[in-house]
Amino acid sequence: MKIEKKLILSNIINGAFIILIGFFAFQNLNLVLTKLRFVEIADDLNASFLEMRLAEKNYFLYRDGQALVDIREKISAAERTLQEEKDNIVPAIGEADLQRLESLLRIYATTVAAVQRKGPPQLDQEERIRGAGRKLKEYADSITRLERKRVNEIIQNAKRILILSFWAILASALLIGHFISQKIVRSLRVIETMTRSISEGNFAQVANVRPRDELGTVIDAVNHMSEELAHREEQIIQSKKLASLGILTAGVAHEITNPLNNISMIAQTYDELYVNLGEQERIGLMRKVDAETERIRKIVMNLLDFSKPKDANPTEADINTVIQKTLTLVQNMIDVQNIGTVVRLEEGLSRLFIDEHQVQQVLVNLITNAVQAMSAGGRLFIASRPGKGGNSVEITVKDTGKGIQPEFLPHIFDPFFSTKGEGGTGLGLSVSYGIIKNHRGDIRVESKPGVGTTFTVELPIANGH
Amino acid sequence: MAQARIMVIDDEKIVGDMAKMSLQQEGYAVETFLSAEPALKRLEEERFGVVVTDYKMKGIDGMEVLRTVKKQYPGTKVIMITAFANLDAAIEALRGDVHDFFPKPVKIKELKASIKRALEK
Repeated sequence: MKIEKKLILSNIINGAFIILIGFFAFQNLNLVLTKLRFVEIADDLNASFLEMRLAEKNYFLYRDGQALVDIREKISAAERTLQEEKDNIVPAIGEADLQRLESLLRIYATTVAAVQRKGPPQLDQEERIRGAGRKLKEYADSITRLERKRVNEIIQNAKRILILSFWAILASALLIGHFISQKIVRSLRVIETMTRSISEGNFAQVANVRPRDELGTVIDAVNHMSEELAHREEQIIQSKKLASLGILTAGVAHEITNPLNNISMIAQTYDELYVNLGEQERIGLMRKVDAETERIRKIVMNLLDFSKPKDANPTEADINTVIQKTLTLVQNMIDVQNIGTVVRLEEGLSRLFIDEHQVQQVLVNLITNAVQAMSAGGRLFIASRPGKGGNSVEITVKDTGKGIQPEFLPHIFDPFFSTKGEGGTGLGLSVSYGIIKNHRGDIRVESKPGVGTTFTVELPIANGH
Repeated sequence: MAQARIMVIDDEKIVGDMAKMSLQQEGYAVETFLSAEPALKRLEEERFGVVVTDYKMKGIDGMEVLRTVKKQYPGTKVIMITAFANLDAAIEALRGDVHDFFPKPVKIKELKASIKRALEK
């Protein structure tokens, strides 16, 4: 479900809950109001009943006829009140209690009326009147007490429920907030991780995390971007390779010319001296031709191999072999510039899990840069040795060239940054950086203007993968 | 006519070997070297009519050989051969008074003709 939908739903639920609580509180208040009105009426009735009983007592004490009239008046008043306030009384105590009250009142009224009619009462009549009066009064009292108690209970109850609801709503709001923010923070974190790994040149997809919400959409977008970047990087690597190829071709052409010349000279000599040559000499010459052809084939294969676009295809490889292969490609470019080469490859290095062609491309880039930095001649040092941590191999390409200005050093791996003026595309080192980072390796530079530059490439060994 | 001495300097062994086979056929005494240093030493001991040298070599290169020979043995002719068919190199060589300049692959007949001309002068 989308985060947005979840937010809306949780808000609706919370809102409905609050409305429910409000409705409940409103109902309770209404009930309390009804009960309170009844209690008010009951107080009036009680007062009337009390006065009746007082008049009753007077009548029995003084046999005063007026007292009976008073009682009947009070009864009529009470009956009226019960009739008029029926709408307020029934909701509070119910129809049954009202009827009981009315019937008690009627019995009392009938008893009083009988006494009035027949003159001074007998002792049993007196008892009946007192009994009916007492019952009426007691019943009214008990109802009033009960209602007061109920009102109290309702208020207490409402208070408890409101407090509970308050905590429930607070907890639910906190939980929802926490959940949503967790989700958003997690999403942001995933995106952060993805973009960071992309900026380091790692274009792997995050396919296993794919929630069906906004995060999923963003991950899709970032994945798509990553794919595009990987595609672009491939293109840049290839175009950079073709640029290196231009530089290499001049040197390689020269290297081919030498065996070609050898073959040509053997052929000419063979032709010219044919009759003077013994069979063994002829065979020897042809073998030389074959060897020279092989020389050319190797050079051409190397060049073709280097120029072909390839998907990254890491295999176990010996770094020294890769360095040697690269040297056959660049040796002439180095020689032409009057540069001495010192190659120190340590024996018995751990095997690496690398894409040979890409690493070769990095080496070509680094050596080309070194050679170009030594236009006035110099020495090129190429070395391999175990890395410091013990789980990597270190390759250094060091020149005695003009060096790099300290202010340029932080930028030399940036795309399109070049100190070579028109000659540089500014992509060689950035592509190299990308390739080495893809290999989970590291590439570093040290340089002193006028002294030289050292590039160090560190690649993890195969079982570290 | 006394047997003319020819020196061939090239770090490609086959160049020296083939040149030697062909030139010996013409009656020249041929000595071959794979680099300039021993070749220049040998020049101190013996007079050579023609020095055929590669242009691009490790250590002392062809231009250096040309300059040294022209300065110390003005009578000796220098023929340069190179895998760099490069105009700048050719001009530089001509200014250094090179007798001839051949891009590789070398035509042995032309080389022979050039040596012959050099010795006639």
